[in-house]
Amino acid sequence: MIALCGIGWINKEEYMCVMKGLRVRYKDATSFDGLSKKGIFSYPFKNFGRFDPVSKMVCYSVALALKDADESYSPDIKKDMGIIGTNTDGSLQSDIDYFKDYVDCGRKLSRGNLFIYTLPTSPLAEAAIHFGLQGPLLYITSGCLDVPLIIRTAEEMMLLNETQSVLAGVNSKDEAVYFVFKKEPGSESPALCNVPEAVSVTEKGTSLQETAEKFLMLKKRKCLQ
Amino acid sequence: MITPYGNGIDACWENIFAGRTAISKLNRFDTSAFQSEYAATIEGLEYHRKDSLVVQMLIALFGKSKGSIPADAKLIVATTKGEIDLMEKKILTGQNDISENYHAVFLKKVSSIAGTKDKGTIISAACSSAAAAIARAAAMIKCGKTECALVIACDSVSEFVYSGFSSLMALDKFTAMPFDKNRSGLSLGEAAAFVLLMSESRASKENREIIGEVLGWGLSDDASHMTGPSRSSEGLILALRNALSSACAVEEDIGFISAHGTGTVYNDAMEMRAFNSVFKDRKPAYSIKGGIGHTMGAAGLVEMIIAMRALREGKIPPTVNLKEADTDAEGWISTRERSIPKNKIALVTNAGFGGINAAVVLG
Repeated sequence: MIALCGIGWINKEEYMCVMKGLRVRYKDATSFDGLSKKGIFSYPFKNFGRFDPVSKMVCYSVALALKDADESYSPDIKKDMGIIGTNTDGSLQSDIDYFKDYVDCGRKLSRGNLFIYTLPTSPLAEAAIHFGLQGPLLYITSGCLDVPLIIRTAEEMMLLNETQSVLAGVNSKDEAVYFVFKKEPGSESPALCNVPEAVSVTEKGTSLQETAEKFLMLKKRKCLQ
Repeated sequence: MITPYGNGIDACWENIFAGRTAISKLNRFDTSAFQSEYAATIEGLEYHRKDSLVVQMLIALFGKSKGSIPADAKLIVATTKGEIDLMEKKILTGQNDISENYHAVFLKKVSSIAGTKDKGTIISAACSSAAAAIARAAAMIKCGKTECALVIACDSVSEFVYSGFSSLMALDKFTAMPFDKNRSGLSLGEAAAFVLLMSESRASKENREIIGEVLGWGLSDDASHMTGPSRSSEGLILALRNALSSACAVEEDIGFISAHGTGTVYNDAMEMRAFNSVFKDRKPAYSIKGGIGHTMGAAGLVEMIIAMRALREGKIPPTVNLKEADTDAEGWISTRERSIPKNKIALVTNAGFGGINAAVVLG
């Protein structure tokens, strides 16, 4: 069985770990950037301040999802876990920022530290480096916020033994949600639901916050049963 | 496929075997501020016109093939920067509406050019994009999600990409020399290519000529650096082992390796470390990037098509621009063509920014 074992969601005001039923409104206490010093990560995140906004959002969301799934990570141990990301427009804002900066510099000087964020996989790569994810890494999009697409892709990867677990997620401009899927999770990894159920929850196009809330309701319903 | 050598597989195949490079002085934009003035571009493409460079390539590519694509084929497009030249044009002319660069618009154009009913998906995995797309298409077929998939890969030489690679000091001043002792960087190139993947039963039902078979693949990430390859090659080693395992193949089955071979000091050394770690005996290996440059998201697909041709013809391409193989590449890489013993299979490797590795086994 491939199971959904953790969900991390964040926007510019609050964040959620669905399995743990944890919902924190942080805006009154700290800024979005300040969150990196508030225990979201298990250990300091190198160069986090230099990341583009999407990479920060994705890395926060990944950290919350891993925490929700009780999946530990360390700088010394890499894990067989893949990461798949999607959104509607790839790295468009970073593309614009890089090229406008280059044009403003008279088309003579380009900045490598802006260029490295002009791939839609850049936020995923930053996450892979920090969390030690050595499984398959790719970005996939159908041009819309297609959450079932990444869930099905994650399922295929695990069915074909490409990896044993996958972080699959989506970001928009102001929010991100990541899911931890595991193949044959042990008793130490409580599962919320299987892939068909996860797909059915995400199939109706709602905001990422509403998607996370739907899973929260599903979790509460299952706890009551 | 369409490459800087021209339209079609023959043009690419013949020029590689002739040892000719398509890398030359670039006239598309001013390169005077950059690390290099060289790239491999496709003749006749118009820059900053109505259609993007990749759309012009795809129109040229699908001119004759449109009718042979089944209507139910799933469409997968591999690219790193797609129509980035359209965004450049808008910024340079002061236009603020950049919506044309959205993926949905690009996919609509590609499905229209290729003639698929499926609206398609884009897969991006840096310079391993094409290999990742082939893996996903094969996975969908293996899992019974579809019987056939059209995989298209494309990327172009733009000021955006060229200036970026120059800022990272990744370019060779003249022409890339993969695996050479004196290599000093990559040369950018552009290309578009497509393959139609089908389940065996569907291919035989339609009496399709089978050109090659995707036997297995392995995808991995170094999880170590944004732009530099792993110093230990552990990511590529993992991808190679997973690819062999998923193809149910052993070391002795591999007849040759189509390497990523960009021509940068670190990539080529990383690959050779991985090959030396996984294989006890040296295998014939080559890179075509001294010929057509590094075509980024398209590279893997062009290289797979050439590898399939090599399997069919029983001969391994030489490495264009190689003068003297680096010590670690001796016995693997050659300036000469070599023959392939019978019943061997091929291994194609790619690597990209973010430490993304891919290995695909073809039969």
